[in-house]
Amino acid sequence: MNNNTKNILKKELRRTFRDKKSLLMMLLVPIIIPAFIIGMAAFYNMMGNKNPEDYNKIGFAYELTEEEKAIAKELKIDVINGTEDNFKEMYKNKEIDLYITKNSNTYTINTNNSTNAAYAETLASTYFEALKNNLQAQILANNDINAVEFFTMVNVDKKVVEEESMMGSMLKSYGFLFCIMAITIAASYPATDTTAGEKERGTLETLLTFPIKARDIIVGKFLCVSISSIITGILSFTLSIVSLNVVQNSFEMFKGGGITYNVSTILCGIALIIAYGILISGISIAVASKSKTFKEAQSSLTLVMFLSFFPGMICSMISVKTTFGLALVPFLNTALIFNDATTGIFNITNIVAAFVTSIIYIAIVLYVIIKQYKSEKVLFS
Amino acid sequence: MIKVDNLKKKFERIDSNKKKVTFYADNGISFEANDGEIVGILGPNGAGKTTLLRMISGILEPTSGSVSFDDKTYDKYEIEIKKNIACLSGNTKLYDDLSIYELLMMCADIYEVPKAKAKERIKEIAKRLNLENLLHSRIANMSTGQTQKINIARCMLHNPKYYILDEATTGLDIIASQIILNFIKEERDNGKTILYSTHYMEEAENICDRVVMINKGVIIELGTPDEIKKRTGTNNLRDAFFALIGGAENE
Repeated sequence: MNNNTKNILKKELRRTFRDKKSLLMMLLVPIIIPAFIIGMAAFYNMMGNKNPEDYNKIGFAYELTEEEKAIAKELKIDVINGTEDNFKEMYKNKEIDLYITKNSNTYTINTNNSTNAAYAETLASTYFEALKNNLQAQILANNDINAVEFFTMVNVDKKVVEEESMMGSMLKSYGFLFCIMAITIAASYPATDTTAGEKERGTLETLLTFPIKARDIIVGKFLCVSISSIITGILSFTLSIVSLNVVQNSFEMFKGGGITYNVSTILCGIALIIAYGILISGISIAVASKSKTFKEAQSSLTLVMFLSFFPGMICSMISVKTTFGLALVPFLNTALIFNDATTGIFNITNIVAAFVTSIIYIAIVLYVIIKQYKSEKVLFS
Repeated sequence: MIKVDNLKKKFERIDSNKKKVTFYADNGISFEANDGEIVGILGPNGAGKTTLLRMISGILEPTSGSVSFDDKTYDKYEIEIKKNIACLSGNTKLYDDLSIYELLMMCADIYEVPKAKAKERIKEIAKRLNLENLLHSRIANMSTGQTQKINIARCMLHNPKYYILDEATTGLDIIASQIILNFIKEERDNGKTILYSTHYMEEAENICDRVVMINKGVIIELGTPDEIKKRTGTNNLRDAFFALIGGAENE
C-alpha cells in the first residue's frame, strides 16, 4: 500500500469512526441479531410446548358413546356437544378449536388453517386412532384373536442419530443471513459518505487538486468501506454464535444440541464474510460515486441491498442445492456455501469457484470505479 | 511560468425544449503568467473563470488547447505539476471531522514534506496566521474566516511554486480578505507565479501585475491595469470592463 493510499484510508477511517451515523449503521443490525435469534427461538419453543388447554375444545355434532367419552377424557379433550350450525357460529367466535361431524361411519374433521386448529387436529387424529384401535380390538376379541399379538406384529422404532431440528437449521441460516444484511448496510453508509457525500460537501474538488492518483484515492476509500463492513460482519457473526449458544442452553426444544456452528463452519463463515464484505463495498462505492447527492446515492443503494440480500434468503428458505453454476453467482453463492457448511458439506470445487469469481468481480468493480475517478464526470455526474 | 494556449472547454446542457445543446465555457483562451507575477483573471459571474482555473489546476480536461508549467504538461507530469500547485477558492471545503493539525499533517504527507519539517512548518505557519491555539480543534468548529486561514496554511505548507486562486476572498469580511491579499503579495515577492480570479475589479487593480479580462468564454482584454485603462480611456478597471463590453446591458 503506498503512502497516498494510506493517507486517504486514514482520513476516511477517521471520518467513519468519528461520525455517529456511520457508527450507528455499523452497529444497528449486529445489535438486533441476538434479539432476533433468541426471540425466534423463544417463539418456536413456545409453539412446541403449547398448553393442551389452548387447543382441546372440540365440538362433536353427534352423541358420543360411553367408550368415545372415555377416550376423549383420557386425551383431555374438552367435549362440546351441539349441532353443526351452532359449531359454525362458535368457530367464528373462536369458542371451539375444531368440530367433528358424522355420516354413518365417516367422520369429518372441520377445521381451518390456524395454529390452534392444527394442534387440535393432531389431538382429534390421536382420538380417532385410539377409537379405531379399540373397535378393531373388540372385533379381534370376538373372533378369538389376541389383539396385542395382532397389533405388535410389526414394530417401528425411531432413533435420533444426530439431534438437529428443522427450526434449529433455520435459526442457523437466518443467523448468517443477518450477518450478510449487517455487512450490506454497514458498507452502504460509508460508501455513500466517502463518494457522493464528499461530492456534496465540496471536498472532492479539494481532493482532486492533490497530487494523488485516482487509483490511490479509490483504493483508500475502498479499503475504508471494506474494513467497516468486515468489522460489522465479524461482530454480527460473533453475536450470532453467542446467541445460538444461549438458545441451545436456554430452551428445552433446542437442548439436544446441533444448532451451534462447529469450528470448520465458523472458519468458512469468516472467509465468506470477508469475501462478501469486500465485494459489496466495491459495488456500493461504484454505485454511490455515480450519484450527485447523498440522498440520490442512498436510493440507488437500496436496490443493491435488495439484490444482494434477497436471493440468499429465498434460497435458504426453499433449500436450494449448491451447484457449480450457482457457486459463480455473486451474493447467492455466499448464502449457499454457508448453508452447505452448516450441514457439513464442504465441496472444494464450489468453494474455490465462489472465491475466485468473487476476486474477479472485485477486480472488475475496482477497475470501473478507478475509471470513473479518472474522468472529470466524477465531479458532475 | 504558466502557459495557457488556446484553451477551450465544451459542455452540454439541456435547453428549455429539453434538447441537448453544446456551448463553450471557455473558447480559445491564451496567456502566460511569469514567475514573481500575479495575473488577475477578471470577469463577471459565468464568464468562464472557474472552468478556466479548473482546467489549469488539472481537475477538468480541456476540450482542446494546452496548459504547461515550465514546459511540463499534465499528460506526462500530472503528479509532479500538482505537487507544485496550491489551489484555493472562496468556497474550498475542508474535512470538517479532522483537526487543523491532522489536516495539515495529512497534506504534508501527501505533498511529501518530511515529518520533522512538516511539524516545524505547521508551528511557523500557525503562528503567522494566529492559529496556534486552534491547532487541535476540529475544522467543523471554525468560522468562515478561520477556515480560509486554514486553507492558506494548507497552501503554504508545501511551499508551492504556483498558486491558483479562484475568488479566494468571496464571502469573507474585510479582515479575512486582507489576510489573503497580504499573503498573495508576499508570495509574489517570493517569486511565486499566481493566478488570481475575481469579479472585484478594485481588488484586482490593487494587487495584479497583469490582468486577463474574460467575458462569455473569450478574452476581451489583456495587459497591465494601467495599459488597459489607457487603452479604454477609463480611470479604473470597472469602467474599462464596461467600456470593453459596451455597457452593463450587454453583459
